[in-house]
Amino acid sequence: MTDTTDLLVIGAGPGGYACAFRAADLGLSVTLVDARDRLGGVCLNEGCIPSKALLHAAEIIREAQHMADWGITFGKPKLDLDALRAKKDEIVGHLTGGLTGLAGRRKVTTLQGKATLTGPNSAEIEGTQIRFDKAVIAVGSAPVQLPGWPEDDRIWDSTSALELRDVPKTLAIVGGGIIGLEMATVYCALGAEVTVVELADQIAPGADPQAVAILRDAQEAEGITIHTGTQVTEVTTTKATVTLTCTGAFEGQIKAKAVIQSVGRRANGDKVGAEAAGLSVSDRGVIEADATGATDVPSIFAIGDVTGNPMLAHRATHQGHIAAEVIAGHRAALETTLIPSVAYTSPELAWVGLTEAQAKAEGRNVKATSFPWAASGRNLASGGRDGLTKLVYDPATNRLLGASIVGRNAGELLAEVTLAIEMGARLDDIGLTIHAHPTLSETIAFAAERALGTLTDL
Amino acid sequence: MSDTIASPSTRRLAREQGVDIDALARKLGRTTISAEDISGSARPAASAGDTSYWDVDHSQYGPVTKEPMSRFAQVASKNLAAAQALIPAVTHHERADVSAIEALRKSWKAEAQARGVKLTALAFHVAALSRALRAFPRFNASLTPDGEDLVLKDYVHIGIAVDTPHGLMVPVIRDADRKGLWQIGAEIADLAGRAQARKVRQDEMGGASMTITNLGGIGGTAFTPIVNPPEVAILGITRTETVTHWDGDTPRPVPMVPLDLSYDHRVINGADAARFMTHYAGLIADPRNMLV
Ligand SMILES: Cc1cc2nc3c(=O)[nH]c(=O)nc-3n(C[C@H](O)[C@H](O)[C@H](O)COP(=O)(O)OP(=O)(O)OC[C@H]3O[C@@H](n4cnc5c(N)ncnc54)[C@H](O)[C@@H]3O)c2cc1C
Repeated sequence: MTDTTDLLVIGAGPGGYACAFRAADLGLSVTLVDARDRLGGVCLNEGCIPSKALLHAAEIIREAQHMADWGITFGKPKLDLDALRAKKDEIVGHLTGGLTGLAGRRKVTTLQGKATLTGPNSAEIEGTQIRFDKAVIAVGSAPVQLPGWPEDDRIWDSTSALELRDVPKTLAIVGGGIIGLEMATVYCALGAEVTVVELADQIAPGADPQAVAILRDAQEAEGITIHTGTQVTEVTTTKATVTLTCTGAFEGQIKAKAVIQSVGRRANGDKVGAEAAGLSVSDRGVIEADATGATDVPSIFAIGDVTGNPMLAHRATHQGHIAAEVIAGHRAALETTLIPSVAYTSPELAWVGLTEAQAKAEGRNVKATSFPWAASGRNLASGGRDGLTKLVYDPATNRLLGASIVGRNAGELLAEVTLAIEMGARLDDIGLTIHAHPTLSETIAFAAERALGTLTDL
Repeated sequence: MSDTIASPSTRRLAREQGVDIDALARKLGRTTISAEDISGSARPAASAGDTSYWDVDHSQYGPVTKEPMSRFAQVASKNLAAAQALIPAVTHHERADVSAIEALRKSWKAEAQARGVKLTALAFHVAALSRALRAFPRFNASLTPDGEDLVLKDYVHIGIAVDTPHGLMVPVIRDADRKGLWQIGAEIADLAGRAQARKVRQDEMGGASMTITNLGGIGGTAFTPIVNPPEVAILGITRTETVTHWDGDTPRPVPMVPLDLSYDHRVINGADAARFMTHYAGLIADPRNMLV
């Protein structure tokens, strides 16, 4: 039996379902297939959402501890891991179930099974042939497994870490990018003694060093040990521990009850039969796509993590919408290069657009201005600790080009600057826009005013 | 990041309309592009001003049918509207005695038959105009679009507006000032014939010094043709009429052809136009003047 569809979307993550739903809204007949039994992909099932649920729990534990300074003391928190896991799963279930409802309302056909392309207009899903006019590959990415590591139940990736099997007394995290730092934040609050090992000479590589330094200080103050510029050369296991041998800035051994590998994610392009359709896949699993999602094969588009970095859910979603519109005959393309990054650590670290280092690498003349959160009334009055709002701008025009924010709710604050950059705002526009007092958002206006010489709060 | 400032919705609009936002910014000499700039750049030059009141449901007044304008007609209408809106044009009226031309055509009838060439009055006009353009070089010129330079041409090509079932076409007789009447006559017949069948090649159109639009075979006493840019003038001809000419006290019937010269006032002023047409009428009235 052969089924036919206008559009086959392979992978139901934030890229795939957004694409399928938009295409259905534009009148196409759409089939959405995923190997897992729930929609939502990595993001909903083992990424963005479960990690944020656990981070919320971690934040409450930390806040409760810090309230001792305010004369309010709670007892040591009692952890019911089963209940916490159930709560997290309930949230995930609620959201993925919601997606199933949204798919049904749009008459998107959903199939469960592994899809393999068999040609430029055909695929096979668990023995069933399906013919399509167009297909969108949205198969996402998977955690990188470092070569030479032993097989061991105590060596986790982000997926197993989010399963919350237990809270090990000591936990080593290899890879200090966003995912590793979020895991450190969770497990530290739950009571593990956490050590982070990062090869680059700063955690959150790519982010503004001044902002990252504030995050690092905060994490170390919570008891997390951080080794940057350090490489793990050997991993050995005994009955009692996993031992990491390190060289670089830190020379020596780290013994831990469990280890999380978070050294990046590899695109899944080589797991979908892309070659049979005439596509080439890079040795990093990436399928190249242009700003419309088009690949080298006219009937096939690719979006999301499978198209490479930055591997972020909101990028996948926007690419999905664009591809759907292009397939439905509209003129569309991802016009912007502004893709915000947020680490939901404590405090949060968020950045978008140009950093000073990037500008320097591009030979572009920029200036930076900042406002320290130690001078923010709202931050102090709500128990916030150190933080920074930093804006990068063009000194010739005062046009805003980038921003880095570290502090509580930095991820939410980032939206204002992202919109401001998209709209071509100058520092003057931001300074002249009235920000409510006292809010954390004021720090953005203050940073702008500081550069303009109109600031009276510092 | 692009140096052009434009909001995301403006960028989307530009893409939908096929407008290159950075090129538009350079053209307008701007750093910021707004949605209005995009719709403006895609709008044809024709619809300047508010035309919403033209949008009438005619069927409420009686039965109507609708026929689509061809691509060809749509392009022509855009160009005509732009020419009419952007060129300050004046039309100068003149008439010329065609007795001598008519006499010549009669006396050459036998030879015409032998050559197989129909020697029309239009052939004489093409010959006369090409000679007149040599005498008045500013009429054989084009203004650059920015209005900063006048390009003077050291060649004389005459465009002939031909009425065809699919619209107006303007094939061109090259180097008409170096061609004799028989050759001009033969070329007119050939080009006009092929224009009817839409068989004129692209390289046989364009590049004219001036265009002649001749309604003489149909009728009319005068009209005001629209200049065909980048040319700076156009010569209209209507039907020859026998008028009463007074030699002192004696009336004499004289066949006169009405001539209408529309010209771009930015390049040609009224006195020049009057001199040009006096000269031209002289060439028609006494074709021997074309030889000197
Ligand atoms: C722990 C963690 C936290 C994260 N936190 C954030 C965050 O806070 N913010 C953020 O923006 N991003 C976050 N990410 C990244 C985010 O999850 C991804 O960028 C996003 O899920 C990518 O979406 P996608 O649509 O490309 O593919 P995915 O979400 O990876 O979905 C791909 C789907 O394709 C399916 N699939 C694969 N191959 C096949 C096949 N052959 N046939 C059928 N189905 C197939 C898979 O089962 C999967 O469901 C996080 C990731 C992790 C691991």
